[in-house]
Amino acid sequence: MKQEISVLMDGELFEDEVESLLDRLKQDPAARKNWAAYHLIGDVLRQPDHIHCDLSAKVRERMQDEPTVFAPHGRMAKQKMRAFALSAAASLSAIGVVAWMSLQIGPEAAPQLAMQQNAMRPVKAQFQAKSNDYLMAHQEFSPSTDMSGGAYYIRTVSYETEEIQMRNSTGKK
Amino acid sequence: MKLYVAVCRMLLGASLLVSANVHGGEGGEGFDWLKVVIFAEHQTDYSGVFVYQYDNHVETSRITHVVDGDGENERLESLDGPKREIVRHHGRVLGHHGEELPQVESPQGIGKFPSLLPEQLAALSANYQAKLLGTERIAGYDAQAILFQPRDGLRYTHKIWVHTDSGLLLKAAVLGSKNQLVEQYAFTQLQIGGKIDRSWVRQGVVAGFHGRDFHKQHDTARRGSPTNSGWVADALPAGFAKTMEIQRPMHGNHAPVIQMVYSDGLSAISIFIESDDGDEDDVEGLSSRGAMNLYHKVVGKHLFTVVGEVPPHTVMRVLDSIRHNGQ
Repeated sequence: MKQEISVLMDGELFEDEVESLLDRLKQDPAARKNWAAYHLIGDVLRQPDHIHCDLSAKVRERMQDEPTVFAPHGRMAKQKMRAFALSAAASLSAIGVVAWMSLQIGPEAAPQLAMQQNAMRPVKAQFQAKSNDYLMAHQEFSPSTDMSGGAYYIRTVSYETEEIQMRNSTGKK
Repeated sequence: MKLYVAVCRMLLGASLLVSANVHGGEGGEGFDWLKVVIFAEHQTDYSGVFVYQYDNHVETSRITHVVDGDGENERLESLDGPKREIVRHHGRVLGHHGEELPQVESPQGIGKFPSLLPEQLAALSANYQAKLLGTERIAGYDAQAILFQPRDGLRYTHKIWVHTDSGLLLKAAVLGSKNQLVEQYAFTQLQIGGKIDRSWVRQGVVAGFHGRDFHKQHDTARRGSPTNSGWVADALPAGFAKTMEIQRPMHGNHAPVIQMVYSDGLSAISIFIESDDGDEDDVEGLSSRGAMNLYHKVVGKHLFTVVGEVPPHTVMRVLDSIRHNGQ
């Protein structure tokens, strides 16, 4: 359940899964608490100066003062609500989940964490063949070369399939 | 070997006592280990296989390092993918991509023996907090783990694992601001000292490089020369001191390129300045490989390129602050 909530906040749940999870959230007070806690983490991270504890109780109080509307709920309204909830979850996503995960996982588990993040992260621009000249020229004077010998030169010759193709097509310099 | 390192550490420790007031003792032992690593790296014969990893990329390579009367010789061979090889001799570099001939040669002088200068140590402790972590086993050896945490968001966190007996770096990780792994290098197998094949130092290398004998080649025109171009970058993070400025040949026969190198002791930033040749590839762009980030941009008649083992926003910030002094 916790996992699903964090995935929901990440905006990565499919629409039908979202619906069933939201239904369960409505019924399960413990899950609602988790939901609130995760959002609180996000809020604290973004605005540590404006934190009010137990927001849900206050909101409930205010809700009771609200007039009840005796009109049938249009399907559109429901849709809008869901869209809003989703976008709110998405905006909190990265910060909230990463913060939560880094609380749970120390630097030791970093490789796994990095892998997970890569799956979500957009593809980074790869080096062009020409950039290797700069990399090589830089590596000569980098402290990392003094610490690891030539091992870090691997950065300059690390292969990427497209790059090799480019190299072959441009020919020899 | 053990005794040798013990003596070396004692000497460094003594010299550190003198400079203890420079970095207030805080994390001093961590920086002490850094000196040991640099010392051991240049003095030790070793051969091993290591894994280099970033993003979803994992690659295995073999490195061999032998010291002889002539100086240091080093060979790096890729074991995965296309065959690539880099040979360093006296700090001079020959790259070998398949059948391609070497492109870049180091302008570094012979007999280079780098170590951390006292002012670099002071800069290190001003910008990083060193923390000794426990000992761990890496590639079958006992290693001391040390964490270098930056005091600002402009550089990466470095974590290193140092062989407690030889002082060699067994593993190194670069971590981002959320402790995510940016890149990692780790030995999986390593032989320290003993009988290490060095036949490649003379025969293999010369044959491999199509008869180019790098022992004799001293074509100064192809190497860099010191210069003072008057270019400056105001937004370099604190503690990055200029270690050199040279004019060097690059990209085959193009006009010389100015390279300025700045280091904070753990990572370096290089600024390249050259005249814009109108190459369409040279429009603005940011690219990265592991901890290495590269940003280039045409400004006026010049192509600026900034490369370093620092986060992307740092290379961008540095590039945007480049200006010619007095203009």
